[in-house]
Amino acid sequence: MFTLPQKESRAPATCPGPTSIQDLDRNYGDDLERECSRKPDRKLPEYCGASGPTAMLSSDSSCLSSRGRVIKWFWDSAEEGYRTYHMDEYDEDKNPSGIINLGTSENKLCFDLLSRRLSQSDMLRVEPSLLQYPDWRGHLFLREAVARFLSFYCKSPNPLKPDNVVVLNGCASLFSALATVLCEAGEAFLIPAPYYGAITQHVYLYGNVRLVCVYLDSEVTGLDTRPFQLTVEKLELALQRANSEGVKVKGLILINPHNPLGDIYSPGELRDYLEFAKRHELHVMVDEVYMLSVFEKPTAYRSVLSLEGLPDPQRTHVMWATSKDFGMSGLRFGTLYTENRDVATAVASLCRYHGLSGLVQYQMAQLLQDHDWINQVYLPENHARLKAAHAYVAGELRALGIPFLSRGAGFFIWVDLRKFLPEATFKAEMLLWRRFLDNKVLLSCGQTFECKEPGWFRLVFSDKAHRLRLGMQRVRQVLEGKSQVAEEPSSYQTQKPRSQHRMEES
Amino acid sequence: MSHPSDTVHLPWGQVGSQGLGSQGVHTQPMEMMLHLKQAIEKHMRQLATRHQQQDLVPEEKRPYQAPGEQEALLGNLMYQLVNLLQSGATDGLGLQPSGPSLDVKGDAGGGQWQWAQSSRQPAQPGYQLNDPEVTFVSQHLSRRGIDISASYRASFRDYKMYQGDKYHEDENTLGFINLGLSENKLCLDLMTERLSQSDMNVIEDVLLQYPDWSGQPFLREEVARFLTCYCKVPAQLDPENVVVLNGCSSVFSTLAMVLCDPGEAFLTPTPFYGGFVFSSGLYSKIELIPVHLDSESTDANPCPFQLTVDKLERALLESTLAGKKVRGLILINPQNPLGDVYSRDLLEECLGFAKRYNLHVIIDEIYMLSVFDESVTFHSVLSIESLPDPNRTHVIWGTSKDFGISGFRFGVLYTHNKEVVSAVSSFGYLHGISGIAQYKLCRLLQDQEWIDTVYLPTYRSRLQKAHRYITKKLKALGIPFLNRGSGLYIWINLQVYLDPCTFEEELLLHHRFLDNKLMLSRGKTYTCKEPGWFRIVFADKPLRLKQAMHRFYQVLEEQKQRLRVKQLESTSRE
Repeated sequence: MFTLPQKESRAPATCPGPTSIQDLDRNYGDDLERECSRKPDRKLPEYCGASGPTAMLSSDSSCLSSRGRVIKWFWDSAEEGYRTYHMDEYDEDKNPSGIINLGTSENKLCFDLLSRRLSQSDMLRVEPSLLQYPDWRGHLFLREAVARFLSFYCKSPNPLKPDNVVVLNGCASLFSALATVLCEAGEAFLIPAPYYGAITQHVYLYGNVRLVCVYLDSEVTGLDTRPFQLTVEKLELALQRANSEGVKVKGLILINPHNPLGDIYSPGELRDYLEFAKRHELHVMVDEVYMLSVFEKPTAYRSVLSLEGLPDPQRTHVMWATSKDFGMSGLRFGTLYTENRDVATAVASLCRYHGLSGLVQYQMAQLLQDHDWINQVYLPENHARLKAAHAYVAGELRALGIPFLSRGAGFFIWVDLRKFLPEATFKAEMLLWRRFLDNKVLLSCGQTFECKEPGWFRLVFSDKAHRLRLGMQRVRQVLEGKSQVAEEPSSYQTQKPRSQHRMEES
Repeated sequence: MSHPSDTVHLPWGQVGSQGLGSQGVHTQPMEMMLHLKQAIEKHMRQLATRHQQQDLVPEEKRPYQAPGEQEALLGNLMYQLVNLLQSGATDGLGLQPSGPSLDVKGDAGGGQWQWAQSSRQPAQPGYQLNDPEVTFVSQHLSRRGIDISASYRASFRDYKMYQGDKYHEDENTLGFINLGLSENKLCLDLMTERLSQSDMNVIEDVLLQYPDWSGQPFLREEVARFLTCYCKVPAQLDPENVVVLNGCSSVFSTLAMVLCDPGEAFLTPTPFYGGFVFSSGLYSKIELIPVHLDSESTDANPCPFQLTVDKLERALLESTLAGKKVRGLILINPQNPLGDVYSRDLLEECLGFAKRYNLHVIIDEIYMLSVFDESVTFHSVLSIESLPDPNRTHVIWGTSKDFGISGFRFGVLYTHNKEVVSAVSSFGYLHGISGIAQYKLCRLLQDQEWIDTVYLPTYRSRLQKAHRYITKKLKALGIPFLNRGSGLYIWINLQVYLDPCTFEEELLLHHRFLDNKLMLSRGKTYTCKEPGWFRIVFADKPLRLKQAMHRFYQVLEEQKQRLRVKQLESTSRE
């Protein structure tokens, strides 16, 4: 496990101060990830076969196993990025000059509605059966509620079956479990990039599965009709390349509505991707965690569960959770829907490690059953608030002359800040990210999403008006200040250390 | 490709039975065959009774018995069996389905855990990577996915049966009584009442938002305070050393990941809690090396199943000679299934042993508040003034047993080692607890007055009473057992009911209990090396206990009868 220490020791040389989120991602994006996922097979003989001193080479001062050290490193790097934020969180009264978080994709707009609903008397039931060991797939009453809920909101042609539902503590766990039961260690999933970067960690930690990126371009060329368009051709190419490199690809991950692009796949596109997967016998994991957060023309959205005659139902696995659509990322509730009983059983076999409290299961069942409240109170209000917040941020960006993708789904806007980078490098992207942070606004930069073009940022708008206003003001300050800096490009073409100096000075 | 029979393939080249891994699997096909046979019989019986429209138990009350599902189950069992046979693990056994002549004496008692890891890779650690020549065409799962499913099915088959047909005083008097699962059902009334109080129902925005992945700070603070108090810790524990996950299995699983590389091992005094077998095999692919304890009292072993440092030393030496990389030691205190409560001296000796060899010690204290014999004192490892090796001492606790809320999914790690804290916290995403549940747990642990004046006194007196009842019955039946004054269970010796005394016979007896709708857990599940031991859980309502002991008695009477006939037959043959 020489890669990791090497990374750690190199970090101070390339960037002053602690490593940032970007480093985490850059590292596991390319070389580290490859190293991590292939390491164990190379390491095993030497670790297990020998009991001599050579087997101890990397034990040195650490108490951790070699994989433990990689795992810890994930935590350290991620924590690093958020430590700054958590130590100095914005608070209207207590810390008005604190950091505003437009980086984490959380819906903070409907807390009032949710807390009112979750406090109603039907939520407070405590029953002995809820306190005892559960059915590990999830309590039957909840799986029934989920099946009914998804049948209705995904507009499935036939009622979905509770037996095809497995309930876990969030979609992260689901990615982990699916990676483990569908792939051997070292195998891979295809994923169109940019993508929600945390998936890398989810499939790696336990599963030791890597992601092969299908890189998308902002340029509209060939048959593309929009920037960052996913096409079957790109999927084919990425798969071929992976195969030629000896990487065994077992599946494809689709995020729909997409994070961070906000794209919604048309039924035709979906079918094309599914057919592609079928041709190559790939599993498709469709992450629909934003399916009810389509606030412009919600009817345009089609869940994969709504398709008549799925190309390969046995290899199509749908994921959904309440984190985004119900603004409860802290509730830890996610669900799998798959017609493949083997996969459902295998995932359920791991649910012992990914279970959620019986009381919370009960509350979720109550919530998902309450279609009246969802249809008449929650969704209209949530969509209206999302729309308003989106309109505000979009207006601000237009006023600043900043290009962005706006697709009317999700909690975020994918913003093109390339013209604010003095050079098209991830180094420069990170410097800009730091400037935002220094100016007390946290954004997520494209590299976190494995975007191959430096300069894209994800800006989350699902926050209260006053925070949003202040956040956008800080963004504007940076960009206006930044454009001045960009006037002297020569200083950025010098050696890296120099540019770091600049950053420290700023 | 979706039919089991289509997947006939022989992808695993390594058929040889060299190495450790292949020894333990001999009894597997046997077990599967038995299950298969039973399932078929049951199916037939059911089809028959359906025709006669008997009024015994309404069929719809027992959903698992729907004929379609039963057939699916049969199919599954056959599939597993075929899989197992293909794996080469049973090579050279001659595959006699009738089984009784199989010699399992060589099976060092480790069968289940070895198999759970992976029966197919005898000479290699579980975390094996894909061999390009081996393209495994399965029903869509990876090899490890199949292993996971199979080991789950094997471990939880009975549990699933129970889930579908639970005993109920009024509604299902013929249902299963589960004295196999270590679940505290004695205080559900108290817990239900406490959790229904209004202070539990608080919804704040922080509870609904992304949490601190090592646990909400308010809960970690409360846990530190709680453990300081109930573990009698000399100095205040630090909330920064606490990680909160959704259950102790998750805590163990993450520790196994971050302390061991695949194929590395932990020493484990045996018999031990079967869940560790499961946890070490599923995700982390580590090995548990049993340190077998003897039931016989000798000079060197004054007390049955006595743990001594000598035994640890010997086991470590043997493992090292066999080329194993031992990374740590697992202690369960109070012990499950024995009920032993370790003395402070023994505890310190074990820690000293671990320190000598730079071994981690994982101490599972999940039963720490379930010591009901007043003459027994529990010493938490956290109460030791200066731990020999604090950086390698990791404590696990949870509310499942002591508070009887296994459905709450809450487990705690306490360790001084910051690296371990960080590494385990990486898994927070995958083992997170709902903010709402974290809040309730915090309130619960905070309410020391209720715990001390209401909950614990009631809980312990109920444990005592239930324990007294069961031990009285056992004595009346002349059944030897360990009387250790802690835990929710008793370790009993049913060897006289086995003839011959083998794991096959143990399994048969287990199934006779099941046929009589009584679940116990058998010694094999705990990797016990001697056949004939069972663990019986007594933390249940008096009525159910009474019914259960009645069934227990019936089965043993029948078994006695059977043995008598068998003996007569064999003497008349001579």
